[in-house]
This record gives sequence, C-alpha cells and structure tokens, in this order.
Amino acid sequence: MRVVIAEDSVLLREGLTRLLADGGVEVVAQVGDGPGLVAAVDAYRPDLAVVDVRMPPTHTDEGLRAALEVRERAPGTAILVLSQYVEERYAGDLLAGGAQGVGYLLKDRVADVGEFLAAVRRVGDGGAAIDPEVVAQLLGRRRKADPLATLSPRELDVLSLMAEGRSNAAIADRLVVTDGAVEKHISSIFTKLGLPAAPSDHRRVLAVLTFLRA
Amino acid sequence: MAIGQAAAGTPGGGSALGRALAPLLQPRTLTATIYLLVSMFVGLTWHVVLATGLLLGVGTLIIWIGVFVLALTLLAWRGGAWLERRWVRAMLGVHIPDPYRPLPAGSLWRRARVLAADPATWKDLAYLIVLFPLGLIWFVVTTTLWTLALGLLTAPLWFWIPADGGMALFNDGVRANLVVDTLPEAILAAVAGAALCVAAAWVVKGMAAAHGAVALALLGPSQNQLQARVEALQASRDRAVDSAEAERRRIERDLHDGAQQRLVALAMDLGMARAKLETDPAAATALVGEAHEEAKRALAELRDLARGIHPAVLADRGLDAAISALAARSPVPVGVDVSTGRLPDPVESAAYFVVAEALTNAAKHARAAEIGVRIARHLDLLIVEVIDDGAGGADPAKGSGLRGLADRVAGVDGHLTVTSPPGGPTVIRAELPCGS
Repeated sequence: MRVVIAEDSVLLREGLTRLLADGGVEVVAQVGDGPGLVAAVDAYRPDLAVVDVRMPPTHTDEGLRAALEVRERAPGTAILVLSQYVEERYAGDLLAGGAQGVGYLLKDRVADVGEFLAAVRRVGDGGAAIDPEVVAQLLGRRRKADPLATLSPRELDVLSLMAEGRSNAAIADRLVVTDGAVEKHISSIFTKLGLPAAPSDHRRVLAVLTFLRA
Repeated sequence: MAIGQAAAGTPGGGSALGRALAPLLQPRTLTATIYLLVSMFVGLTWHVVLATGLLLGVGTLIIWIGVFVLALTLLAWRGGAWLERRWVRAMLGVHIPDPYRPLPAGSLWRRARVLAADPATWKDLAYLIVLFPLGLIWFVVTTTLWTLALGLLTAPLWFWIPADGGMALFNDGVRANLVVDTLPEAILAAVAGAALCVAAAWVVKGMAAAHGAVALALLGPSQNQLQARVEALQASRDRAVDSAEAERRRIERDLHDGAQQRLVALAMDLGMARAKLETDPAAATALVGEAHEEAKRALAELRDLARGIHPAVLADRGLDAAISALAARSPVPVGVDVSTGRLPDPVESAAYFVVAEALTNAAKHARAAEIGVRIARHLDLLIVEVIDDGAGGADPAKGSGLRGLADRVAGVDGHLTVTSPPGGPTVIRAELPCGS
C-alpha cells in the first residue's frame, strides 16, 4: 500500500512514517500543509492519504478541507483524517461523500500501534474507521422515543463497533463470540432500528451513522 | 436675494467654497430632509394613539379594563421609542443607546411595575408628545425652503408657462411687483435658487442636529444612568480580570497535577524498564506496557483540559455544533434547541460556557433527570436558557461556578439570572448583547 502523509509537526510526521514503514506500508511522500497534500496526491496517486486536521496557515480545519478536495480530484484515494480532538460534525463533513475508504481517528489512537495499522489497512482497502469517541457522541445523543432503548446491551456493543467500521470477524474477535453470533446480533439490530440490510461493510457503516445522526 | 448675495459674497478659495457646499452634497442631507418631513406625521400619529389610549385607559380605570388599556399604551410607546431610536440612527446618524433597566424574569405584574418605575419609560412618552410640535416646525421650514429653492433654480425651464406672463415671486394682491417673465430674470432667479439650495442644506443640517440633540436627551440614557453604567462596567471589568486570573491558576494546577504527574510516572516507568531490559526482560515489558497506558491517559487529560479552555469545534463550527457535542457528553439526557447562526466570538464563547457550567451543575449537584437547552436570538440579544428538573436550590452567592459564570457573562455586558426554588426546577438564563 502506498501512502502520503500530511502533517505539520515534524516529530509526528517522522514518527508516523517510521510506524507505517515498520508495518509494511510504503510512505511515498510527506507534506506539511493542505496545498502540499493536493499536489502530492496529484503527483504520486497514492492508495491512501493520512491527513492532520490542523495545519498551517490558520490551524483550524484546513486538513479536512484539503482531504475533501483530494476526494474530489482523485476519487479513488482513501482518506484517513487524524485530529487532536474529534467531533461528530467533522465526521459528518467527511462522510458526506460516502463511507468508502474514509477514516476519522483521534491522534491518540496512533499509540495503539496494532489497532492503528489495522485501521490504516482497512481504510486503504476501501473500508471505514470511525473513532470510538465519535460513535460514543452519536450514541450519547438523546432523542424522544429513543429507538436505541430497544437494543440489548450486547447489541449496543455490536452497534458501536459496527459504526466504527469494523468487520464481522473483527467484532467477533473483540467481543469474544463467534461470527455467527455477531451476524445474529446485527440482523436483530437492523430489524429493531428499521434499517435496510446493507451488503458491504462500508455501506453498513453509512447506514448506521445516518441513523445515529438523524 | 439677501441670502443669495450672502452666499455669492463668500470669500473665494476652493476649500471655503467646498466647505460651504459640503452639506448639499452629503447623502445625509437627503435622509435628514426625509426624516424632517416625515416626523410631523409620525408625531401626529402618536398624538392620536396616546390621547386615545390614555383617555380610554383612565376613563375605564374604574372597571379594570383601564389597567389593561394603559399597560398596552405603555408598551406601545416604549415600542415607538425603540423604533424611533433606530429611525433616528438610520436617518440622522445619531446613535442613541437603549436606556432601559433590565426586566426581571417573573410575573407580568412584576415586569409591568419595573417598566412603570423606569424613568426612561416616561421620557419616551415626553419625546413622542414633543415629536408633533417639533415635527410641525421642521415640516414647515423644510418644505418652504426646498420648494422655494428648487422652484427658483428651475425657473429658466418654465418661467414662460404661466398664462398671465411670468411667475410672481411676490404678490400682494394689488400689483405683482416681483415677476420673473424674461430669460435674464429667470437666469438670475436660478442663481438665487442655487444659492438658496446651499442655504437650505445648511438649515436642514442644523435642524437635524437640533432634533438629534432633543432625541438624545429624551430617548438616551440620563447622566445618572451613564454614571451607574460606568460603575457597573468598572466592577464587571474588575471581576473579569479576577476570573481570568483564577482561570489561569486553575489551568496551571490542572497541568501540574494532571498531565505533568502522568508524564513523570511515564518517564519513571520507562527509566526502570531500560534498567531492567537486560536483566529482567519480562518485568521490562510490563513496565513499558504501564508507561504506554500512562501516556494514553496523559493524552486524554490534555485533550480534556484543552477543551475546557476553549473547544475547537466552537471556533470552527459555531454554537450549534459545540452545544450538541456538550450535550452528547453529558451523563444526563439533554434536549438541545439552537436557532442562531454564527455570532461574534466572545458571545459564542460566553454562551458556550454558560451551558457547559449549567450542565455540569445540573448533573453534579441537582441530580437532574432531564435538561433542556434553548438558545435563540431575540432582536440584538442572544437568549441562553438551561432548564433542569433537579432538586433546585442553586445559589450564585454560594457556588463559585455560578459566580464565575455571572462574571463571564458580565464580561460581555450580558445579564445572568438564576431561578432555583428548593425542589426545582432550576432555570439559568443569560441575556447576551450580540450587536445589531
């Protein structure tokens, strides 16, 4: 897998490069700002761009905007956005174009190297990776006549992991149950929430997130 | 003619002439003219409304309806004065701040009493009464000057039209002794008209200034009020400085006691791990694992601290997004209704921290089961309301959180009210001026 990194902190940029290289991912370019990212993607056509949200000159959300521009210019490029803080609204902007090859993670997640590399691979392969904190925000939102109240605690666990973008196998692994049990939970969740059955993992993420954000 | 000569006799020199002509060329003269012409009719309307309302009110006072009619009239004239302030500002360029005392929350009766006790209410009434006679003067002078000036100015175009030959400038009924009926006379009249235009512009400027002064005196805050306002601002500035100081101390404490301690522990674990790397690899691995966990906790703590200082989402996406995120993190269910766009940063920030502190209080002290947050813009005020169904009994004098909140709100010139009877419900309401 070929990756471009956009991150203005040299320390973190070097660290990320080393981490990815150790994990067998090829880093083809490193840039420090939004326009640099767009140019690098045009030049190298990578499979994945790892992007920091805050970059010069304004240090607000230019990474996010550059990521959206990359998606428009080179639709095949997967995007993994890293941020010092995660908020549901930013995730919404990013996912507006679909959940295929999109990731949005707290920078801290880099600390769990194995998990992080798995997320990088998942996003690079066209999957999704949504930060558990964003999912928790979405699940924490209260509404009148809350349909989530009809879910069992186990089903809520499965729903959270599903919203993060994990596959059935990964969910089964995490909850220490069989694949079959996970499938049963998922079909029960979809029925209870009135969601249309979705074939692939990323479509499922989108369905769940759309439901949670509604 | 005398006026024309005076104008023509103005000593030469471009700048002096420029200054003399300036009012004629300013757009303000046009808006002021419109204002002066219209004010009589506005004044007349208010005379009718006020006479009807007050007489009817007093007349029916004995059967109680009068109270209602009088209250309605009072509200009407306060509204009229409010409109007049904006109208004067738009047309005359005189900025008059609203001088009203803040209205308390509570029953209609209580509000009405405060309204009636406010001297500004009665000065509003005086202004609306004075508006008609003043407007009458402005109207007569303005129409006379401008029709005469424009009439003379355009004389060359139409002096030949009247059937009896010429235009009578002055006619005493017996003999017309000043008639414009030849081209040279018409041209002379036009010159005089031009001069009169300049003069009219000056007179309009003067009348506008006079009216502006009357409006400012009657519709604006009084000297005492200004004095009181200066004192209130001074006090709120002092408290804002104090609270900023306290905030800095809190941040310093949080950094030292939180993240820094964790980093110390982390460095210690790593140091020991390095020492044991050769001799006891198993223990070293365990220590590295601990250090890893410690580092992650430090990160989480730093993130929370940064959010408490200033949430990035507020600056990037505004109140709606930031409050939604707050609500999602609250352990108590929160209903959110934010109906406003982007506002100046200090206002958004104050509104955000009012909600944040109120949510914390409701969850921690009031043991609320449900919280409602409503933020809406009402004219040039942003109204922030947080209502919970908890135990009540919140007192800004006791809790430092609420006290700090009042200071923060005062810092943006706002007003915080806390209504929290024992047994609840608690309503925290902030009114924040957000520009017009």
